[in-house]
This record gives sequence, structure tokens and C-alpha cells, in this order.
Amino acid sequence: MTPQRLIQNFKHGRGLLWAGPDFNAETLERTLSKLGVSLTRLEHVDGTALDHNRDIVFIDGDHAFDPALLMRAGAALPPAPTIGMVGVEAPSRLKLLADVGVTAFLRKPIQAAAIYAALFLGVNNHGRMRVMDQRLADHDRRHHGRRFVIKAVIALVQYHGLSDDEAYARLRRESMRQRIGLEEFCAALVADGSGTFPAEWPALHAEDGPSRHPGDKHETHDDDGRRSGGSADADRGPGRGPDQAGRA
Amino acid sequence: MPNLRVPIGILISSDGPYSAVARSMLCGALQAIDEINASGASVAFEPVVGNPAGQLSRYVALGEEMLAAGIKHVVGCYTSSSRKEIIPLFEKADALLWYPSHYEGFESSPNVVYTGPVANQHLLPLVDYLTHRVGKTAVCVGSNYIWAWENNRVLREAMGAGGGAVLAERYFPLGSTDFGQVIEAILEAAPAFVFNTLIGISSYHFLRDFRAACEARGIDQPMMIPVASCTLSEPELQAIGPEAMDGHITSSVYFASIDTIENAHFTASYQARNPDGPAVSADAEASYIAVHLLGLAIAEAGTVQIDAVKRAVARQVIRAPQGEVRVDADTMHAALTPRIGRSRRDGQFEILMQAPAPVAADPYLIRTASRLGSVVRPNLRVAS
Repeated sequence: MTPQRLIQNFKHGRGLLWAGPDFNAETLERTLSKLGVSLTRLEHVDGTALDHNRDIVFIDGDHAFDPALLMRAGAALPPAPTIGMVGVEAPSRLKLLADVGVTAFLRKPIQAAAIYAALFLGVNNHGRMRVMDQRLADHDRRHHGRRFVIKAVIALVQYHGLSDDEAYARLRRESMRQRIGLEEFCAALVADGSGTFPAEWPALHAEDGPSRHPGDKHETHDDDGRRSGGSADADRGPGRGPDQAGRA
Repeated sequence: MPNLRVPIGILISSDGPYSAVARSMLCGALQAIDEINASGASVAFEPVVGNPAGQLSRYVALGEEMLAAGIKHVVGCYTSSSRKEIIPLFEKADALLWYPSHYEGFESSPNVVYTGPVANQHLLPLVDYLTHRVGKTAVCVGSNYIWAWENNRVLREAMGAGGGAVLAERYFPLGSTDFGQVIEAILEAAPAFVFNTLIGISSYHFLRDFRAACEARGIDQPMMIPVASCTLSEPELQAIGPEAMDGHITSSVYFASIDTIENAHFTASYQARNPDGPAVSADAEASYIAVHLLGLAIAEAGTVQIDAVKRAVARQVIRAPQGEVRVDADTMHAALTPRIGRSRRDGQFEILMQAPAPVAADPYLIRTASRLGSVVRPNLRVAS
């Protein structure tokens, strides 16, 4: 994993406070202003339309809060870094903060000397978890597409006499050339194959003769990137290189 | 006759590993107290001096004693670790610490007034000077605590952004005096400069040994591998000794060689009071400024209560030895004038560059660094 650049200057940030009317925001507001961060009430903005590059939410765990105000359905993370403020250390209150995915906390009464550290950890932990969230989604997507990869490999092995390693390498190369994910590429191949795939797959070698996928309007490419099929350059638009000649 | 007789705590380690600078801080503070007491102002100070000798536990014990005796204002601390250790006491007692030393920033306690410089007033001007006038490669040598770690982080990011590189960072326990290995490593790496965040006796030993090692190899150390820091001050040049006191680059808001009427008055009076040393230093001036600001603020507020004093201090502008100084109402940090100096054999610094006007403190670097922490060039010009 590439090391994440840590954000350490929060100037132009917007603090969004969720707290009861009796919450003493003076220390928080004064210290945030020294850090270049403004403070407004969360109820004055749309909690689901926050910008994680600008907004930092402060939630008082002692004040009733509906996590749905902040969390999109099914999301594991709030849309912006969220810092919990803990007064009563009872599990029910702490559960609320856990439910909204706080990534740092401040003990009440708020002490000025803890606020920069809470911002630093809250924002950077949120960034880190966001990256992990994206990676997880990416893994899920690839995981779901794996069965198409297996199908495509088996088909190439069965009908083209390739080894499984050669089949996989071929699919990978072709998907990279078309700049789409291997899983998406294989899913499209298997779906378009309509039972004839991969007999109609472009030949391994150009000299094997032109070969077109049924219903494919675009030319395809052999392993060396030479185009096969179609009518030479006739259908090649200006500036359109072979990489853009997508099948999927 | 003064209307207010105010006890003032002085919490400075006249003994211990950084006593050379600390003693000059004590001299600066006491000089300002005497000046205020002799001036017929409406405030007179009664100093209560505590010497923690550089031990954290003694800072706490002596601080507690002072606050328990009802003292509301204490001038003191040199290291950040000592300041952090006693801030909770001041918050609890609703008292104010006047912190008269340079530090790494990233703090803004409501119970502290900061009269020394932070990174945008000492380190950033130095980094700018070094990368543009000295060279693009550095080796960092420091005492193993927050001052060195944070300064090296800023230096590393600034050097990286400017196409330079920190070749190595080495840390030593406070009070270390054996630098043979790191000196060999520096000579091997041959950086454009050494960035020194060692403090106290460690720094003096290092500078002497490094000079000697260079001389043994026929290397003109100040010319070829100068040592730069944000800490080295006049009393420390005496402690280094004549064989290695010259040619070191320092960033500071004050040098005794500053040519102003206020500084001439300050240094003449200081030398008359302390003929046997320690020499005047930036931290002595910051202590002197702290006491004068406190005196003016209490006189205007008419009380020692800290909220009133803090409001009043933000309205004061003093013509200090270094130039005009004022305290920001939001951060309680002083606006100061950055300068770059090079030490000479006479124990003074030649001023190479200085900012055209006082620079407001930016303790969290929100104005002088990007979102990811890389620094913005400060504005300095060659001193005429």
C-alpha cells in the first residue's frame, strides 16, 4: 500500500458541530479558529452531502443523534472525518460514536491542547479508512468477476489448446490493451460469446487469417497489437489508436 | 509608589544541561524586573526564583509551590518538555506562564504567553537560507526529543520540496558527549551542511569535536560543511571555546550585535549587571521582553487576573532590543523579526540577513505550510 500523505494543515476547513444547546463551544470554536477552521452547526447543512476535503464533523455523544443524518445507507464510513466528543463514558453513548464511525475523540470538557491532535488523527484516520474502503470495494468487484475469468480461461484452454497460464496471460494482455479490468473484459467475452466463444475469438497469430467476433462492429487485435479483421484503416477515426478499439 | 506589588515567579534552570542559556534568561528577566521597579511605574514586581536544575519533577514541585503561594504569573521554562509538564498546573490554578524561548510550535495554551519564536520565525527562514545559499544536502544531528524531531521533520519536507535531501538523521540522549562515530559518518556523507538540534553541552562537544576532526583532515569546516541551528547563542559560543566558536550559522530573532538604540541600552545595562557573564542571548532578550510586556499589561489591566492581563497584553507594542514586538490576541504568540547570523571569534554574530519587518507567529503553520506540510518561502533580505 502506498504510504498516505498526512494532512497537517486544516486551514479553510469547516467544522460542523452536533451538540445540545447547553454545549459550551467556546474553547472548540476559539481553538479551531486558530487552526483556520470555522465552526457551524451540523443541522444547518445537509449531513449527507459533506466534502471530506473540507468538512470535519464534531458529535457530542451525550446529545441524541440519528446516525442516518450522516451515514449513507450501507456505508461503513461517514462522508467526512468525524470526531466524537465524550462526556459520559457509558457504552450506550460510546456506541453512538462507534456507529457513526468516529476516527478520533475529544474528552469533555474540551481542552484546547487536545484539538489539533484530534483533528490530525480524525482527518488522517478517515483518509486511511477511505482508502481501505475503496480497496475493499475494488476487491469485491474483482471477486465477483473471478468466475468469468475462470470461464474464459477454461474456454481458451479447451478450444485453443493453450495452457491455463498462456490463456490467463492472453486475457490479461487483451484487457490491458483495451484498458478495462480483467474481470469486466472476461465477463463481456463470456456474455458476447453466446455459446460460440471462443471459437470466434481472434486468432493467436495474424497469419491465421482474419477473424471477427460475431456481432463485433470494431476491429480486434492480435497479440502484437496488429489489427486484424475490418477493412484496414477505413473505420479508424482521427486520433483513435488501437487501444481505444474496445470490444466491451 | 506603585499601586500594585506583584509577586512574579521565575522558573529557570540555572544548573543542569542547558544552564548556560538558562542563566542568561534569568539575567534578562531580573534586569527587566529591576528596570520596572526603578521606573516608578504603577506596578512593582517581587521576584520568587526557583531553580529546577533541568529536572522535570522539580519543575512541577517548584511550579506547584509558586502557584500555591498565590503567584499568578511565572516567567520560565526553556525546553518544551518542561513547559508541557507544568501547563496543567497553570490551567488548574488559572495562572499564566510567560514562556521566553524558541520552540517548535503546535501549541497555543490559553495559560501561556509565548515571547520566543516558533518555526515560521526561526526554522523556515533558516531552511530557506541554507537551501538557497549553502546547499541541497544535509545531515541532521540532534538531541533525542521533540525539538529535534519536529525541526528535522520540517527541514526534511522543505529540503525534499526544494530538490534537496536529508542524507541522515542521528539522535543522541540529552547530555551525550561522544560524537566520534557520527562525525565519521558526516565526513563520509559530505553534506552541504549539518543541521544541529543538539542542545546544551552535547552541542558544544559536537561542535568542538567536529571542528577538530575536520582540521585533522585539512577541511575548512565553516566553509565546506557549516553547522546550522536555531539555538546557538552568544553564551554558548563562550561555552564552545575559542577553537571552534566561529563560522556557525544561526537563525534567531535576536543577536547581541543588533545595531539599535534599544539594543545598545539593553546590552550595556546587561553587561554592567553581569560583568562575569553569561553573555546576553536571544532567550535572555525574550525573557526581558516577557517581563516588560507583563509589567505593561498588569499596569493597564489594573489587576493580575489572567483574562484581563491577556486582553491588555495584546494591546501593547514595545520597542524591544530586537525591534518592535507585539503579542497576537488570538495565539498569544509574539510577532518577532527573523534574522540569520554567523558566529565570529569575538563571541558575537555577524548578521547576514533579516526580515524587513516583524513576522507574526504561525504556531500551527497554517499560513506558511501547505495542506500536506511543505513550507512556503519566507521573506528575508540581506542585512545592510
